Amino acid sequence: MTRVLPPLPVLLPLLGAALTLLFGRHARAQRAVSLSVLAAVLVVSVALLVQADRNGPQVVHVGDWPVTLGITLVVDRLSALMLVVASTVTLGVLVFAVGQGTASDDETPLSIFHPTYLVLSAGVSNAFISGDLFNVYVGFEVLLVASYVLLTLGGTGPRISAGVTYVVVSLLSSLLFLASIGLIYAACGTLNMAQLSERLAELPAGTRTMLQVMLLLAFGIKAAVFPLSAWLPDSYPTAPAPVTAVFAGLLTKVGVYAILRTQTLLFPGGHVDDLLMVAAALTMVVGVLGAVAQRDIKRVLSFTLVSHIGYMVFGIAVASQTGVASAVFYVAHHIMVQTSLFLVVGLIERQAGTTSVDRLGGLAASSPLLAVLFFIPALNLAGIPPLSGFLGKLGLLQAGAQDGSVLAWSLVGASVLTSLLTLFAVVKVWNKAFWRPADQAPRSPEAQEADALMHAGTAPRVMVTSAAAFVGVGLALTVFGGPLYGLTDRAAGDLLDRSPYVSSVLGGAP
Amino acid sequence: MPYLLAAHVLLALVAPLLVRRLGRDAFLVLAVGPAAAFVWALAQLARVRDDGAVAESYEWMPTVGLSLSFRLDTLSLLLTALVTGVGALVLVYCARYFSSGSAGLGRFAGVLLAFAGAMLGLVLADDMVLLYVFWELTSVFSYLLIGHSAQLKAGRRAAMQALVVTTAGGLAMLVGIVMLGERAGTYRLSEVVAEPVGGTYGATAVMLVLAGALTKSALFPFHFWLPAAMAAPTPVSAYLHAAAMVKAGVYLVARFAPGYADSSLWRPVLIPLGLATMLLGAWRALRQHDLKLLLAFGTVSQLGFLTLLVGTGTADAALAGVTMLLAHALFKATLFLVVGIVDRATGTRDLRELSGLGRRLPAVAVMAVLAAASMAGVPPLLGFVGKETAYAAFLDAPRIAGWASGLTLAGLVVGSVLTFAYSARFVWGAFADKPGLEPVTPRPVGPLFAAAPGLLAAAGLVAGPMSGLLGEGLAHYAETVGDGHPHSIGLWHGVNTALGLSALTLAAGFALFAARDRVAAVQAKAPGVGNADGAYRAVMRGVDRVALTVTAATQRGSLPAYLGTILAVLVAVPGVAMIRGGQWPDTLRAWDTPLQAVVAGVALIAAVTAVRTHQRLTAVLLVGATGYGVGMLFALHGAPDLALTQFLVESLTLVVFVLVLRKLPKRIVERHSPVTRAVRATIAIAGGLLLGALSLLALDARVAPPVSDAFPKEAYEFGEGKNVVNVTLVDVRAWDTFGEISVLTAAATGVASLVFLRKRTGAVPRAHAIAPPPPGPTPGPTPAPQSVWLPAGALMAPQRRSLVLEVVARLIFHTILVLSVYLLFAGHNVPGGGFSAGLVAGLALVVRYVAGGRYELGSAAPIDPGLLLGLGVLVSGATGVIGLLVGGEVLQTVAFEQTLPVLGHVKLVTSLFFDIGVYLVVVGLVLDILRSLGAELERLDEDEDMDVDAPLAGVAR
Repeated sequence: MTRVLPPLPVLLPLLGAALTLLFGRHARAQRAVSLSVLAAVLVVSVALLVQADRNGPQVVHVGDWPVTLGITLVVDRLSALMLVVASTVTLGVLVFAVGQGTASDDETPLSIFHPTYLVLSAGVSNAFISGDLFNVYVGFEVLLVASYVLLTLGGTGPRISAGVTYVVVSLLSSLLFLASIGLIYAACGTLNMAQLSERLAELPAGTRTMLQVMLLLAFGIKAAVFPLSAWLPDSYPTAPAPVTAVFAGLLTKVGVYAILRTQTLLFPGGHVDDLLMVAAALTMVVGVLGAVAQRDIKRVLSFTLVSHIGYMVFGIAVASQTGVASAVFYVAHHIMVQTSLFLVVGLIERQAGTTSVDRLGGLAASSPLLAVLFFIPALNLAGIPPLSGFLGKLGLLQAGAQDGSVLAWSLVGASVLTSLLTLFAVVKVWNKAFWRPADQAPRSPEAQEADALMHAGTAPRVMVTSAAAFVGVGLALTVFGGPLYGLTDRAAGDLLDRSPYVSSVLGGAP
Repeated sequence: MPYLLAAHVLLALVAPLLVRRLGRDAFLVLAVGPAAAFVWALAQLARVRDDGAVAESYEWMPTVGLSLSFRLDTLSLLLTALVTGVGALVLVYCARYFSSGSAGLGRFAGVLLAFAGAMLGLVLADDMVLLYVFWELTSVFSYLLIGHSAQLKAGRRAAMQALVVTTAGGLAMLVGIVMLGERAGTYRLSEVVAEPVGGTYGATAVMLVLAGALTKSALFPFHFWLPAAMAAPTPVSAYLHAAAMVKAGVYLVARFAPGYADSSLWRPVLIPLGLATMLLGAWRALRQHDLKLLLAFGTVSQLGFLTLLVGTGTADAALAGVTMLLAHALFKATLFLVVGIVDRATGTRDLRELSGLGRRLPAVAVMAVLAAASMAGVPPLLGFVGKETAYAAFLDAPRIAGWASGLTLAGLVVGSVLTFAYSARFVWGAFADKPGLEPVTPRPVGPLFAAAPGLLAAAGLVAGPMSGLLGEGLAHYAETVGDGHPHSIGLWHGVNTALGLSALTLAAGFALFAARDRVAAVQAKAPGVGNADGAYRAVMRGVDRVALTVTAATQRGSLPAYLGTILAVLVAVPGVAMIRGGQWPDTLRAWDTPLQAVVAGVALIAAVTAVRTHQRLTAVLLVGATGYGVGMLFALHGAPDLALTQFLVESLTLVVFVLVLRKLPKRIVERHSPVTRAVRATIAIAGGLLLGALSLLALDARVAPPVSDAFPKEAYEFGEGKNVVNVTLVDVRAWDTFGEISVLTAAATGVASLVFLRKRTGAVPRAHAIAPPPPGPTPGPTPAPQSVWLPAGALMAPQRRSLVLEVVARLIFHTILVLSVYLLFAGHNVPGGGFSAGLVAGLALVVRYVAGGRYELGSAAPIDPGLLLGLGVLVSGATGVIGLLVGGEVLQTVAFEQTLPVLGHVKLVTSLFFDIGVYLVVVGLVLDILRSLGAELERLDEDEDMDVDAPLAGVAR
């Protein structure tokens, strides 16, 4: 099974994309293809996770070319975990989108959504499983181009202008990534990451550090690390709810994954950890201050998204077993919680016609279910125990305390401050949108009229169920936090040790 | 113990259902949960006395050292009994306090039960992190309970304030816990206390933990949230904000005192803060008119008192502290519940409106008097016992400097005097006959409604005389503190100084109460002390302001600013790394052939001019020139395949640009100041130079020959092809190519998505399929005669037709297509391949479109581009699967060799099919672009007069 399973998370969605293009006129067939493909990817990912956890990294040499000549796919614990989380998100959000009608909205041409969404999913998977630096770039391109399309669905004015920001910044980031790959290839003569991990070590330290920061810069933009993060809150919130949900959940985490993978595998030894720590602290604090300043729920969430990337960078920067394990845990948590929240906000928008806290009110009374669905992940985001956000944060604090340097302690301080301000930001939203009676909202009569026009009534059951399922999965991360933390701990061990990855690719002999 | 907690969770979950079924009587059922826990706790009494503690532990998250550890010792037992006992009684009280129809009652009941569970967990937890979990949960449930009446802005604000303040302290506490846990190597509370972490580190850590305790127990300067929290329904105030939750801080101090009372910062922080809170709260309680607020400030005062006692760190003070803890829970819960009854019975809580209630509700008045007397320290109630023990403890406090202990004692006496005064004022305010005030006529109070306060008040009365026995039990805790030899407690210790102080307190307190009018006058004149609420607001406003400032500075909403930031970081970070650690090559070779320099120079000039030109078309052409320049460099470097592809891509890009330019203004308007331009130019040039320098360094550092050196041999032997580039694309790195064609596919859908806002599927209409004549100056469709060069050319506007173009297009179209097919099939061995071949075919379509217009395009390619794209990806993907099916790896090339009857020996390599897939995708992409950016934009242009539904103007959502 080793040779069959690893390529499937990429292969299946792309074949599915081809089919949905061919079924251009049959919405139902498209839906069936997309849903079954993504469900299959989820199953495959779980199987891969079990295999990787039991038997070590699953390696495939594409086309049976000799290792380092061709492209290698590597599914280790980290990759497999990311695959499982990502495929859960893509499947769940697809269900939501189908329920909402984004997938078959009159405004959006039918055959755009399904193929592009599947291509996006393939790109994300590819970035996770690739053992070849250039192929990681290809994965990024696949998911980015698909994301350009999804972000501008419907082509409304705000979406186009958000799209321009997003596309241009992403292109710049891709350019930097590509340039870095070129430089690395120039120096090392290989793209295979296992081999690179050996060859980079032979470079002069100064040159190696330059290559390292170049890659960090490229990934930092994608992961939205301050000061490279300003594009995100300007582009994500305008997209349709399910698109924002899947972007917020997954795309930045692909950047985080890339940072994690390259920092541990290619550039061990922590030469720029101090730089990363400073970036992490700034990302957390500046990001959450942005969230506090917003009056639209989608924008609040976009800023917390940026802010909490800082937590993951924190773990990577500390680079201890606990730090990396917690960072990986936090990635899984954050994907789930951000996706849930954006989906719930989609429900709010559907129900009330707006996501501005100045115009919302009385949601707790009018729709208790929605209130519960918002409240739990919102607290989870703020790291209220015993929810998964707290568990991740706890590990990070421990890692910071173990590190004991001044910077690490500052990071500990920054993380609890961020936690508090996140709570403040979401509670402000709750107080206004959910508790305040609707007639106390400071909205203008025109706004009220507009909302009434946009009032689409209660959301279809499929959407609510999908959002509820995400909240449920988020809770499951708490209940099964023990085993999950065990897994991320083992994954962190692999990452820091490097030898499981390298020897499984290169076959023991360098 | 987990079962008890699980029972609470379960009851919390079914509470809404129960309330829907039973109405307010559901609370009686729910009270079973805490009551069961109460009984359980009492049943453990003997075991705790004999063994010291009952403990249970289960693994939860070993990675972060989090376990479900519980431990019931004397202190926990006291708190458990208190929390569950008061909890059960408050729930019974709720069954009459609320009316069955009140809004959100089910939710309220659920949250209240959940709170009771969290509180129980808090006092039982023996894992510090677990304790923090319950700690925060109580904050959250308190938030929800305070906000139960969220109609009022004040209520919502108070709820948030309480949450923010207690969570802020809680997070500090979490850091402290982590510090202690990591240093001690265990998160077990009992172990961390038994073997305290010392030094500055330990002192800092424990101070952080205390920050949590101080905020939770509303100590100065964090006391302000508690009076505001009185927005909650009265049972909540009685339970959370008097008996249970606010005691958590006191509990925590009591918990840590045995190990940490001697740490350097402990007493200097806790004793002054406790004393200040006691005095401040009591002073402010004296001036309240709302009975509930009076009690709230009284609670603040008492919490200060309690913290002071358990924080002193001597055995006697500790014993006094836990005794007072119990006494306070009993009398304060009673008083709050009484206020609730008064409120419900009369509709007011303002003591300026209440008169004569004592005679009309005598039973309630008796309860209130008993409780208030205990609060005031009147014998023989438990409050008296506690207070006198406290006096005695400070009369003889070996661990505190004499002057400090004297000062504290004096403070205690003053505080107690004030306490007596406001206790008396409470009873007088609620029940006394006031001259000049109409007596109120209360509604009758049922026995069940009054049961809870009655029981609690009676408990306070009984506990006083029994305090000797109680003290023996509580001494088990006090023995762990300080020197470990507490004196016994009881009602009567003979005539001594403490008794004298008690008498003094009563006398002075009574005098103060009697002179209440004069006190009120003084208070009115005195400046408001301790306006921490204002400080809180100022801090919050500050946070908002900082947030706005920072966000305005970083989130400019300007793409150029974002790009500038990114590039500036690029220059700064790798630039600094380069300057610090770059190892420069010794020798430099400028070029292989001078021609390279010439080409590079031209490209450079084109690039600079492109930035400076004001003509959009010129700019596009110049950018194209840089692209061709790069292509030339490829060619000069000996890479014909790359060069070919680069030229084709550049050509197609130019076509796309020109198609789009039709919709854009001709001129580029320059709006930026010279300074801005200079800054941008600097960043751009620095970025370019940096990348150039980096390339130099990277190449110079080469440690191994590139893997591509092995490609030619491998490509031939393993990939069965002589064209290395093509074998690389379709075989060695086919996985990349597969990804890239999906990029093309997605790009194609994106272009179409933006241009066709309604429906994308369907081919472009062909010339003979057009029913209505196209609008515009052209005449209707004439049947295309055979002699016409391009069949649909006649449908174009005459002024746009060019006969020469039509002729050329007709003549070369098929030739180009044949060329493209040749390139496709020959690509494996000579320059070519699916990608270039597809581009060539695409250019053929471009020619047809440019010459013949959109209907000609329809005739040339009567097929849906989506179909081509889908088919292409499918074909390429399928070859990937074939490798798997025949037992190899994914995308493994499989050769089928067969000798067929007619064709002879045929050898089919799957990589060829992969390349065909690539070809289809590229053709599909070009067709899609021509259709969208060409044909559809053209149609929209023509429709513009009639149809306002232009693209990019979609419906705002």
